[in-house]
Amino acid sequence: MNLSNTMGSPKGRKAGEKTSRIPAPAARCASFFLPGLGQILAGQLKRGVLLLGAMASILTILFWRVHLLAHREVGAAAKYIKALGRRPLFVGLLSLFTVVIWVWNIHDAGNQTKPSRRGGAGIFICILVAFFILGWQISQIDLYKMVTELPDAIPPLSKVLWPWKAAVTREVEEISAGLNILIGCEGEVPPIPEEVPGKPYLNAEPRCGELSRLDENNKVIRGSVLHLTGRGFVPNTEAQIWWADPLGNKFRPRQAGEYVTVMTGPDGAFTFDLIMPYRLIPPTAKGPQIHKVEARQVTALGNLIINDPLKLTLERMAETIFMGMMATLFGIIFAIPISFLASRNLMSGSLATMALYYITRTILNIIRAIEPLIWALIAVVWVGLGPFAGIIALTVHSIAALGKLYSEAIENIDQGPIEAIQATGATRLQTILYAVVPQMIPPFVSFSIYRWDINVRMSTIIGLVGGGGIGFLLVQYIRLLDYRAAGIAVWFIAITVAILDYASAEIRRRFV
Amino acid sequence: MLEIKNLTKVYDDGTVALRDVSFSVSPGEFLVIIGLSGSGKSTLLRCINRLIEPTEGSIIWDGDDITATETSKLRHVRRQIGMIFQHFNLVKRSSVMTNVLAGRLGYTGASSLFYQFSEDDRNMARKALERVGIADQAHKRADELSGGQQQRVGIARALMQNPRMVLADEPVASLDPVLAHVILGYLEEMNREGKTVLCSLHYLDLVQRYASRVIGLRDGQIVYRGTREEIRRMTDDEFREIYGEDAVRVSAGRG
Repeated sequence: MNLSNTMGSPKGRKAGEKTSRIPAPAARCASFFLPGLGQILAGQLKRGVLLLGAMASILTILFWRVHLLAHREVGAAAKYIKALGRRPLFVGLLSLFTVVIWVWNIHDAGNQTKPSRRGGAGIFICILVAFFILGWQISQIDLYKMVTELPDAIPPLSKVLWPWKAAVTREVEEISAGLNILIGCEGEVPPIPEEVPGKPYLNAEPRCGELSRLDENNKVIRGSVLHLTGRGFVPNTEAQIWWADPLGNKFRPRQAGEYVTVMTGPDGAFTFDLIMPYRLIPPTAKGPQIHKVEARQVTALGNLIINDPLKLTLERMAETIFMGMMATLFGIIFAIPISFLASRNLMSGSLATMALYYITRTILNIIRAIEPLIWALIAVVWVGLGPFAGIIALTVHSIAALGKLYSEAIENIDQGPIEAIQATGATRLQTILYAVVPQMIPPFVSFSIYRWDINVRMSTIIGLVGGGGIGFLLVQYIRLLDYRAAGIAVWFIAITVAILDYASAEIRRRFV
Repeated sequence: MLEIKNLTKVYDDGTVALRDVSFSVSPGEFLVIIGLSGSGKSTLLRCINRLIEPTEGSIIWDGDDITATETSKLRHVRRQIGMIFQHFNLVKRSSVMTNVLAGRLGYTGASSLFYQFSEDDRNMARKALERVGIADQAHKRADELSGGQQQRVGIARALMQNPRMVLADEPVASLDPVLAHVILGYLEEMNREGKTVLCSLHYLDLVQRYASRVIGLRDGQIVYRGTREEIRRMTDDEFREIYGEDAVRVSAGRG
């Protein structure tokens, strides 16, 4: 007699349905002590094992994270309380879900003893949510940080997103005139400069004075005023005032919140009252401190010069494209013979050839499992930094990937045409050329172009680990915090990959 | 011309496709093999030109036992036997012309490895295509053709071999009734020219129209042999013998 059939009639059972060996209360009891046990005893082995496994993992990971949050505490209870204090939302929510799952599992165990109440995905959705919460905490997702750190991140990010200012500059021609200024009017005052006709001229009255400085309350004390006179400049044009300290550091002083600029009159002359700027005198300075004041004018705007980042980017991009191409070519050449070894339909002749098939397949799978970036690290150790290492890495991975793809194409060829050609009395070689090769060309070409696409993408970043190409440049710029230069590199990577992507898709569409 | 003795084929997984099959074929016959799917018709045809290797038994062609001959002799035999298939078995991406020229591969040498054929071969191909009525399709890719056209290419390819015998494995099973008669018409024409035809067919009305002799297979064994007249007088018992107890005979009309 079957205890579980208290509800249904024996004749109504479908063939193959597992009967429950225990009544509902017993199942619930079993699942109370070991989640999933009740389900297993009720005949639902897979469900029970899944529940048991899920519960065990959730609890294990929870204990691990709690321990990490409270590793100084001793004793489970103390750890839990400390962890709860540090991350109340995570620990609290997860504990709640664990309890809910446990209770649900007890109720579910009872259900599993009744054929009509089996199934029910609700508890598994609950388990999924619990894993999601765990995952959130383990991966250290911090939305608050994302939001609060955004304003600080915007300046460098915007330089990367629109870097073109650093791409080109214009050649400038300048004329300037300057004179020395003595700090503190003790000692020899610098002389009035000599006026040369046709050349710009700058004088100041007086030619000594005090720099601006801060007093004890951090209030600015204005320095001496120098009355500047300029002659021989380009008429009706802006001129910049510059200051240089004895060490040669040059800067533009500011007055009234703006960089000091003067406008020349129609005679090419100007006058200006300059307040001596704020500059610290180093304590170790000995002797009279001579600074310099200059007036500069841009007289001509020359050609565009391509700056280094742009020039280097273009050079490296070419290197990158060729890296991708070479790696693909080498990959194709070596992958073709290897793919024959990895094709089941060609290798099923004898035990020895089958062994070779399995060995080849396994090696290819292992090589494919290791990403090209990691192969690049190995290659760099072997042949040094540079594009050669990158090509080696990409080639190795390409051979494995193409070998697998080609061999799958070979295994999928249609036997029919082969039979037909053989039936005409063709030799083995004729059969291969007339029936096998035409079938293999479209997938071979398609896979090769696909691989070329991937290799170009990969070669853009393989420089990050020393493999040459644009990645090499990019990582250097980032380390130097030169975000504009990095941005130029990123833009060119995007443009090139997009173009090659489109080109390869078009070729595949037309050819295949 | 062709003699099959005790032919048996057992596949690696234990399936017995042919069991002790024996019969002979005289020159000029139109021999049709009938039977359910899986009764061994395709296997039998393929054993004749050794696309499938028999497990036991012998195949005797023109008095020579070719069951175990090596490759060069086999080549000579194969090129005398043309074959057409249910699914046409054309090289889809090659042109119609290349497919038809491939029929000469049994006769050509190294030049064919570079896809070079002689002017004679090309003329022969053009004539063959004209004969089956698709000369204008010569430079299209094979997969651009309809089913009926593709089977005609298959026939043209077989014609290129100038064969003494033609094997046809369900040549019209994928075609509509009108096309079926067209294709079988070509086979009949070739038969009248003196080529022996060995054909497997499904529908008895076609068998009654074209066959000069019939062999019925069931589960790999011959269960029926009949001449043209005997087929037309086939009884229901004989029908069930070939096609099994559940078979129901549908005939549009006798004669």
